[in-house]
Amino acid sequence: MKKPAALIAVLVLAALATIGLSSCGGGDDTSGGSGKQGGILNATYASFPDYMDPALSYTAEGWTAMADVYIPLLAYKHANGEEGGEVMPGLAKEMPKISNGGKTYTLFLRPGLKYSDGTPVKASDFPASLERMIALNSPGSPFYLTIEGAEKFAETKKGPIPGIETNDKTGEIVINLESPRGTFTNELGMMFASVVPQDTPVEDLSANPPPATGPYMITKSQPGKGWEYKRNPYWAKANGKAMPDLPAGVVDGAKITVVRNEQSQVDDVEQGTYDWMQNPPPSSRYAEVKEKFEGTQFRVEPTISTYYFWMNTQEPPFDDVKVRQAVNHAVDPKALERIYAGQLTASKQILPPGMPSYKEFEPYPYDLAEAERLMKEANPSDMDITVWTDAESPNNEAGEYFNEVLKELGFNTTLKIVNADNFTTVTGNESTPNLDAGWSNWFEDYPHPNDFFQPLLAGESIQPTNNYNNAYFDDPGVNKKIKELAEEQLGPEQEEAYAKLDEEIMELAPWAPFGNRTVSTFVSDEIDLDSVIFNPTFGHYLSSFEFK
Amino acid sequence: MSNEPSVERGPWSLALRRFLRNRLAVAFLGVFLLIVVFVLAAPLWADHVAETGPNQEHTVEQITVDGEKKDVVSVEGKPIGPQWFAAGGKFFLGADGRIGRDEMVRLMYGGRTSLLVGISAALLATILAIVLGLLAGYFGGWVDSLIARTLDVIWSLPVFLIGLAVGIALAVGGLKIGPLELSSGSLWNPILIISIFTVPYIARPIRGEVLALSRKEFVEAAIAQGASPVRVMFTEILPNLASTVIVFFALMIANSMLFEAGLSFLGAGVQPPNSSWGTMITVGVELLRIQPLLAILPGLMIMLTVLSLNIVGDALRDALDPRGKARLDAALEFEAQSGATQPVGEATLP
Repeated sequence: MKKPAALIAVLVLAALATIGLSSCGGGDDTSGGSGKQGGILNATYASFPDYMDPALSYTAEGWTAMADVYIPLLAYKHANGEEGGEVMPGLAKEMPKISNGGKTYTLFLRPGLKYSDGTPVKASDFPASLERMIALNSPGSPFYLTIEGAEKFAETKKGPIPGIETNDKTGEIVINLESPRGTFTNELGMMFASVVPQDTPVEDLSANPPPATGPYMITKSQPGKGWEYKRNPYWAKANGKAMPDLPAGVVDGAKITVVRNEQSQVDDVEQGTYDWMQNPPPSSRYAEVKEKFEGTQFRVEPTISTYYFWMNTQEPPFDDVKVRQAVNHAVDPKALERIYAGQLTASKQILPPGMPSYKEFEPYPYDLAEAERLMKEANPSDMDITVWTDAESPNNEAGEYFNEVLKELGFNTTLKIVNADNFTTVTGNESTPNLDAGWSNWFEDYPHPNDFFQPLLAGESIQPTNNYNNAYFDDPGVNKKIKELAEEQLGPEQEEAYAKLDEEIMELAPWAPFGNRTVSTFVSDEIDLDSVIFNPTFGHYLSSFEFK
Repeated sequence: MSNEPSVERGPWSLALRRFLRNRLAVAFLGVFLLIVVFVLAAPLWADHVAETGPNQEHTVEQITVDGEKKDVVSVEGKPIGPQWFAAGGKFFLGADGRIGRDEMVRLMYGGRTSLLVGISAALLATILAIVLGLLAGYFGGWVDSLIARTLDVIWSLPVFLIGLAVGIALAVGGLKIGPLELSSGSLWNPILIISIFTVPYIARPIRGEVLALSRKEFVEAAIAQGASPVRVMFTEILPNLASTVIVFFALMIANSMLFEAGLSFLGAGVQPPNSSWGTMITVGVELLRIQPLLAILPGLMIMLTVLSLNIVGDALRDALDPRGKARLDAALEFEAQSGATQPVGEATLP
């Protein structure tokens, strides 16, 4: 039995804590938790993002860097894990009203929004931003080409796009699609759909990013070196009040420095020179950092990603499904778990855990004898192949492992290790000779299974350049299913169909998937680890960092 | 005065005697020969002791060490350290990284690659340099101007940076010029890059010597007897260049090995999965904190080989051309006293 004095003390403390907590939440309060208000976050990235322009960036680094700067009409919940995949209104007042058989989306802009330069945000800025993005040949363009007239605009670069109607007085935005697109709600929340002023120049603005709508603005950007944030002065005055569900952030700003040596990054965070490193510690330090700091300064974050080896299904020897199945049996995900130093969970299917529709199955258990039997049965005549991988560790080692597996199966291999900056450009260009097989990975753009099937495995996605369908997989039956499912809104029936599609495609084995990656949060002892949010799509939110 | 004929020693015999008197050089020649034996024994060690190839992965395998099973690579991706003979010679120096290849086997095979690239590149550069030096020095005039200026242009280039850029391009796309076709992983890529960019360092001093030799009486006599220019160059002048060529060849092997190590370290030389000491340092650097030997050992091998070749090269120069050394010493003394710049005819290696 507890002593009464102790019980009273506990009750008093509980009451004080309740008062304290209640004073932290809601409205336009800038506080995000129990940490110290203000301060400048001193952080490091291993590389400068591909672009510091919301219309162009298509990397995790870029999206993380701009997630609290540019807000699209729809946004993703600032939360960890699956909850972070929930779409919510951003600059739009509420979720879109979908009508006309899934072809018309109607939204209303929240009133009183302003850019960080004081200019009011107008409904007509939305089509102008999309037009700018398409005119820049952004890799995000394909997501929006189902808008009426967008395809023609992409060809001629002459606007406006007739499928978007706006009314600046009422804030109404009506988007008409040529055919229903079940993923369009997600796509309205992508970084590519961020709203910027109409007069924003149609050029890469990485060195001078456009005005912000989010709680922070980029005040200085030096491509290759780093960038700085300050609070957006119009967040407290206007946008924060209009978008109370989005956090205002705790720190007053941040200074990001690019430090290419990952070993130095770890040392610097450990010593408190930097408060946070965006990329995970290098594989050689991962176990050490995890052991020393897990729970206090380090946390493992699951990602919605698939790591895989692709095989060119249109060229011998991988035009034979038996050869591809043999390769699948010969790849041992347990070996790759070790190569990725514990930062990868073995898996042999296309959809990763955490993605709606994911249903675990193992189509090709590791079985070298079965692989050899299939190879014997297939008896391919062309055994000379080239294997491609990127130069970043441990991906290069994964590529070397794959190269050895193929050698064990009897292939004469040539391994090509390409600088990570150029890897997708080189392997995505059909004029590159000998694109036979290679390493690749895919992180979700949004939590919808179509994001793994459409760009990576649909025949229509095969492009002469910027091709992500590296397997050149073009199966009419699969194409039809991908197209049909893409037109429907995601529900239990569709989820079941996507899970089945995963199995069907793996029977044809265009890939040898081997795992799902985890990343990590590593902060200095000055930062409150529990407050940091890692969103599966946008990564770490700057607005979630707090000093202790 | 005696009429007894004195025992005359030939210049090569004298040079050998002078070389053997240099004990440091003889010791380092021994070190170099040991290194050569070490790398040539690679297949023997791989087949009979380690029982694995240089590129064979053992990521999920276990070995028995003193009756106890040990992972070659731990679940956290840490490679096994040196086992010496505890596992019967397997993983003698441990595993090379997360792919779990035998470090000792790779060190031996990597040495073969490094030496092969170094010697081939030096040989090719020397042959090219001899031809260019002979043509420029013998013919003079516009031929000399053309060759000398071309060499100057190569000399003035930031050789390593350009070598790096070309190396990266060849590592991705290979090389195809007419019938000449090199795949991206071919060892000929670093050999060609290194040899082309190091030609001026030998060709210039050779040209200088040919210029001097072509005015000598024996050359004029050969011309007067109707010898063709090719005959004069290759039978009269070339034998007199032997000492210079031998000295430069030894030094060029060392320099080519360093060049290769640098290119491979930066991913522009020998391409994985093949190993060279340069590529092994790249792998080792990443694991420096947990397995420092992985970077130190290939580095040590490069250092020992280059040091041996440099000491032997210097000793060869002293032995083959003692007057040259006296001239050089005098020139260096003069330079030290007067603050003069580089002595005439003295080339600086990269």
